[in-house]
Amino acid sequence: MSSSAFGARAAVFAAAFVCALLGPQVARAAKHVVTIEGMQFSPPSVTAEAGDEIVWVNKDLVAHTATAAGRFDSRTIAPGHTWRYVARVPGNYAYECTLHPTMKATLVVEKGNGRRNTK
Amino acid sequence: MKHTLCAAAALAFFSLLSIDARAQQAAAAPTDPQIAAIVVTANQVDIDAGKLAAARSHNKDVKSFAHLMVTDHTSVNKSAADLVHKLNVTPEDNPTSQSLKQGGGENIAKLKTLKGAAFDKAYVDHEVAYHEAVLDAIDKTLIPDAQNAELKALLVKVRPAFVAHLEHAKHLQSELGSKGE
Repeated sequence: MSSSAFGARAAVFAAAFVCALLGPQVARAAKHVVTIEGMQFSPPSVTAEAGDEIVWVNKDLVAHTATAAGRFDSRTIAPGHTWRYVARVPGNYAYECTLHPTMKATLVVEKGNGRRNTK
Repeated sequence: MKHTLCAAAALAFFSLLSIDARAQQAAAAPTDPQIAAIVVTANQVDIDAGKLAAARSHNKDVKSFAHLMVTDHTSVNKSAADLVHKLNVTPEDNPTSQSLKQGGGENIAKLKTLKGAAFDKAYVDHEVAYHEAVLDAIDKTLIPDAQNAELKALLVKVRPAFVAHLEHAKHLQSELGSKGE
């Protein structure tokens, strides 16, 4: 019993040690900003890795959405507000503003390889 | 009779901005307080038409467009009101804002006599003409003549919304046309 308790402590210690060693080298998810301004998504195409965060910033005077049917939907992003989405599933997603059908853009999510440079 | 009235109303509406352009050449350009009144009135006119269409239309696409016009033009007017307040400008009624108001009233009166597909078509046709006319005014009068930099910047910022609305309205127009309604 005491040996198993020791084993557990050792495992936790070892895990912590390994994490401390590897931690700084494990790729952190990148953040991508899409600005909504002048009734457009800018940039019109963003390529991210699975696990990355995409932030839509509405700088227009009117509300917008960022919506890929069946995949993600910001619902209404009020003027001056933002919406964050963590892309998990690789794929090529055409999205639009459901309020303004002229506004279209693309989000490409690639499989993360964990060795990228952040930012 | 009804047709003559409609034609007269349409003529008044379409000639509104060209009259304004000519008047502007002959007389002084609109002042900032007058431009503020034109912006607020132009938005309000479209909000009123949108509220009517959102309540009366049975076409899903027309209804959602009408809701969008109410929401977007209300947002734009809020920004305009905030700026006017900040700049301590009192919007000043002028021939252009008065004609806009009159044209908007005539449009509503005409729409109230219509139902179903005829209503949708008249509303959407008017939205196309209205956004074209306002864009023309923004480009030829409002932006060039605005003196205050923030007022000019607001007009520049608002312009793409009118462009998107115009495209949206034209798309609806062709959709309604292709359905043979």
